[in-house]
Amino acid sequence: MALSPHTTQSGFTLPSIHSFPPFFTKQVNLATQATVTEHWTKLILSYARHKRLFTIRVEDAQKAGNDWDEILRNERINRSLPPSHLSYILNDMVSKNLAMYDPPKQTGSVLLYWRSPEEWAETLYDWVSSSGQLNTIMTFLDITDPPVQTPLSGLPLTILRRAIGVLQKTNRAQMIAITEGEGVRFFGGR
Amino acid sequence: MGCLKRCAQVVDGSIPVQALLYPDEDLLSSQEGVGIYDGTLKSPSHQNGTVHITTHRLFYIDLAHPRRNSFCLDLSHVSRTDYYAGLFTSSAKATLWLHPLSTQPRTNRTAEQLSPALINSAIAEIWVCEVCSFKNSTAGLSPEAAKVCSLCGVPRSLSSATSSAPTPTPSAPIATKSVSLPSSYHHLSSSLPSSSADLLEVGSASLTPAETTPATGELGPNGEIPCPACTFLNHPSLPACEICGTALPRRQKSSTKAKSAPSSRPISPAVDSDEDEDFEAGSDEMKRMIKISFRKGGDKNFYAVVKRSLLGRGWEIKGVSKSTLASPGPTSSAATSGINALLQNVNLNAATSQSNMENALQDLEALMVKAKDMVRLAEDLNERLTAATSASAAPMLSSSPSLTSQNVVEPEEATFIRSSLSQLGLQMTNAPVTLDMIRDERRWIEELAKELGGVLQGQTDDNIGMMRQRGIIALDEVWGGWNRARGVALIPPTTFLQVLPQLPSWTSPPINMRIFASSGLSVLHTPPYTKAAFASRMVGLINLTGPITTVKVAQDEQLPVGLVQEMVQEVEEAGEVCRDEGGSGINVFDTNGWDSKGGNEVMWWVNIFKEYVWDGQADL
Repeated sequence: MALSPHTTQSGFTLPSIHSFPPFFTKQVNLATQATVTEHWTKLILSYARHKRLFTIRVEDAQKAGNDWDEILRNERINRSLPPSHLSYILNDMVSKNLAMYDPPKQTGSVLLYWRSPEEWAETLYDWVSSSGQLNTIMTFLDITDPPVQTPLSGLPLTILRRAIGVLQKTNRAQMIAITEGEGVRFFGGR
Repeated sequence: MGCLKRCAQVVDGSIPVQALLYPDEDLLSSQEGVGIYDGTLKSPSHQNGTVHITTHRLFYIDLAHPRRNSFCLDLSHVSRTDYYAGLFTSSAKATLWLHPLSTQPRTNRTAEQLSPALINSAIAEIWVCEVCSFKNSTAGLSPEAAKVCSLCGVPRSLSSATSSAPTPTPSAPIATKSVSLPSSYHHLSSSLPSSSADLLEVGSASLTPAETTPATGELGPNGEIPCPACTFLNHPSLPACEICGTALPRRQKSSTKAKSAPSSRPISPAVDSDEDEDFEAGSDEMKRMIKISFRKGGDKNFYAVVKRSLLGRGWEIKGVSKSTLASPGPTSSAATSGINALLQNVNLNAATSQSNMENALQDLEALMVKAKDMVRLAEDLNERLTAATSASAAPMLSSSPSLTSQNVVEPEEATFIRSSLSQLGLQMTNAPVTLDMIRDERRWIEELAKELGGVLQGQTDDNIGMMRQRGIIALDEVWGGWNRARGVALIPPTTFLQVLPQLPSWTSPPINMRIFASSGLSVLHTPPYTKAAFASRMVGLINLTGPITTVKVAQDEQLPVGLVQEMVQEVEEAGEVCRDEGGSGINVFDTNGWDSKGGNEVMWWVNIFKEYVWDGQADL
């Protein structure tokens, strides 16, 4: 069985097992399934990073026509990831702290941590300091939707809050209540 | 008193019913607490008694006056029966409809004529058969049986000499006087001299001239029937040729004559109507019935027996054959007569003595069966002797515990038993091993394992074992097959399971047991069907042909699908293969998700996940 990686139109390289039909089936053997889950997790996260996607929902596996089509379906082998299998994988990712249910208390939709909150915190701090905005009060909107594309553009607020929370613990940021809502001030010089 | 009077006969009810039966008559059922309806009205003198149904007759034994009011009724009079289940205070009833008098079976009347009332009064009549000169006695025979020579089966002819052993004179006055004698014949006969020889005279006197002629010239050449096959002139009463056994043509005249003269006697309606005013020629059917009212239940069973007895028609079919049965053994049919019958009787005698001999030999066989028990007893004795000697030996061997002393004795005992068994010729090689053959539990199991190995793999070339063709077989089948092969001393499942661990050492290639974890199914299998061997074979198959379904594997292995499924599951469990449940999801119908699972058969692929190295996007 000659399986080979496949590059999609968006330039993403799919692994060779994506062309392996059993990859889409939830395996009964737990050890095998663990491998499958691991590979799926890797695939989802790398694709999310590739396309800067933060959310995946179980429904994405149900119907075509969304951002995830390229990995959740493989028309070349006529397979798609069943929603139940995706749900299992997402649950596994949440338990491994690679994703979180968002909104909480449901299991249909997750935020993907293709970078962990700590990594995001570093990215955020780096960006703030490199753009010279230390010690100024910024709204969340200033961070997630700046006029110029940044690594943080489109970052979900949940992840942003977590990242800020990480910075607060190390006394590098402070949450401030301002008129437009919430603001944050980053401290420099340490 | 219409039909009761006409058809029933008075019997002495103080005599037990069994004693009243003909030799060929069987008592079938009895029911007490019944009353009799004569026609539609209750018969006042028959209101509390017991009815008995036999193969021939229906008895009513009155409780209050058994001697006077009891009667019996020939079942041949009964044309049909009805049953009424009862309602509230009305008891269940069985209705017996009787033949109208004119259509009453002739044969019966003939019988009555030939042995009138004598049967009931238990007075024997002796007559000599014309054909074989056998002296027949009518004593205790049913009317039908009494008409036929009990040796050769030739119907009795009128002219055969009769002599009543005791003169029936005492019964005659009774017959004349007692009004309770219901049969009209008796009234007829009562007016006659009661000696049966006289009676016969009267009978022939009443013959019409046309028929008396052949009757008198019976033995003349004209009366004889030439056989259509061999032209032998046969006695007119023979149904078949005496020489060659060919069925003889029945001549109208001679047959009626041969049957009986009285049948053609001017029949009695006139007499009857004289006697019973209520029984006119135009009497309605309602008067020709007898009802049995079951006041104490038991009606259903009794009615069923009556029906059966009527269907059996024991009074006419068996009448003849059973009468000959009184002599040595059963004859084939009533039709045989003459020399055939004599020869048959000789044969029957031989057969009877043969069966007697066999019965005697059965005892010997029983003794042979018992021999085993005797051996066991001897074994017991031996055991006790051993125990006694070991017990006496124990104090002497003070240092060694008694256990070892027993162990010392054990082989001796075993050899003794075994040698004595073989001396008795009881240790058969092909007999199933039973526990009592080998007392040692461990050895027993071993022997069983050996035997089972033979059953599975076949001891000889012509005996193909269960697993000669198949490498894997479910345990229940093995157990069933083994016990079927044993036939006796079946092996309980517990013992069977004990035997299995011993099996590999007695089989080649070794047969092992394996239990499937998922279902608990236990199988016996040869080495090619171990988990690893099967897994590698399956992987090889997939590599060869591509992904494969369970059914395909089963086809390839020529095993049941269910079994293969279990095996494949184990392979999957081992991580050698992985499943693809299909479910494309590419077309719109699959978006529901319902088609993605059940619709497709699982395809098995080699598990490549184990050695897979990530070759996708590498920018983590």
